[in-house]
Amino acid sequence: MDMIFKLLAGFFCAAGFSVMFNMPKRLIPCAGISGVAATLPYLLILQSGGGLILAVIAGSIAVGLTAEFFAYYTRNPSSIFTIPGIIPLVPGYSLYYAMLYLVQNNVDQAAQKGAEAVITAISIACGIAISMSIKREFTAIKNRRK
Amino acid sequence: MIDRENQNTGKYGNEEILIFAITLGKRMLQAGAETYRVEDSVSRVLESQGVRHIDVFAIPTAVFISCEINGEKMNIFERIKGTNIDLERFQALNQISRDFSSGVYDLKKAKEELDKISATPKFNLFWSWLGACAGGGFFVFLFDGGVMEFIVSFLASGVTALCFNSLSKLGFSFFIKNVIGGFIAGLFGFSFVKLAGLIGLNCDINLVIIGPLMTLVPGVAITTGIRDVIAGDLVAGNAKIMEAVFIAIGLAFGVGILLRMVF
Repeated sequence: MDMIFKLLAGFFCAAGFSVMFNMPKRLIPCAGISGVAATLPYLLILQSGGGLILAVIAGSIAVGLTAEFFAYYTRNPSSIFTIPGIIPLVPGYSLYYAMLYLVQNNVDQAAQKGAEAVITAISIACGIAISMSIKREFTAIKNRRK
Repeated sequence: MIDRENQNTGKYGNEEILIFAITLGKRMLQAGAETYRVEDSVSRVLESQGVRHIDVFAIPTAVFISCEINGEKMNIFERIKGTNIDLERFQALNQISRDFSSGVYDLKKAKEELDKISATPKFNLFWSWLGACAGGGFFVFLFDGGVMEFIVSFLASGVTALCFNSLSKLGFSFFIKNVIGGFIAGLFGFSFVKLAGLIGLNCDINLVIIGPLMTLVPGVAITTGIRDVIAGDLVAGNAKIMEAVFIAIGLAFGVGILLRMVF
């Protein structure tokens, strides 16, 4: 139940940001679904104790693949789906805590949270890059078969 | 479809093609397209017109094109100021570049389409407010927040996004703008929590501030920057990462000043 609630939260996060980024109206649900695709593997891996980096990479690979899928069927560039889709993974929370600890003169924990934020951002980018190369391989194989 | 005969290079003036290509590239970068996509689209547009030796170099602040049209060497360069992500425009520009390179549009039609895009309808104020509210507010649930925190964060995010939008029109440099942005995000988060406290509802301030802050954090810029670096566009990627880092530092300053004042 908690899980479904969080998935819905992921949907509305991505959909809300897609409105801020002036997404074409009929594509907003697709953006929301890529938000869900980000949240589902992220939460599952975090809950089973797989660690933050793995969770974020899995989430962003899922976003990338969902985006490629939508891009193929709606004939649009895939990044208009990845941009709102990765929003639930973006390290705003650790960034905020890094600032908070810094203000409280707690440099150790600030550095820890800051590093967490940087690693999360790099993991998201890696995940997207991986999903893009998966798609490229996939089309190459498909073209060879023809 | 226009037949290929009419489409060879002789038909249009050399400058005309080049200016169309660079305007397309500039608009795409401004709408938030990735560097490699801009470079690809511009070279494909030029290639379809029989232009040779094309080199396109795009960074977030400028586009350069160097090529040879009808035996004449040409260079063009345009400076870019102010990008903000606009997915509708991005999608439409991508469509124009595809249609032009595959010969569906001729140059006149493509230019008309390009001019039309600048006037695409934005979401009205209510919808963008609601979008900002939802975007910020629902983050609370992802971090195990309760319904109370959600409501407060929902309202604070909307107000912050509206303030930040009108702040953008004042023409501050992006660093100062984000210092002020971080400050107002913290301010609204804090004062809304206090207001809820007055009517006897307690919520965790750290959870609430995340919402309004999230609408300002440069998460997308930093990821696209890293992705550009991974794809091999080192200069463009570095520029984007640098901008994102300074936005984050600006926000940290703003929120930090506020937290210092209240804690």
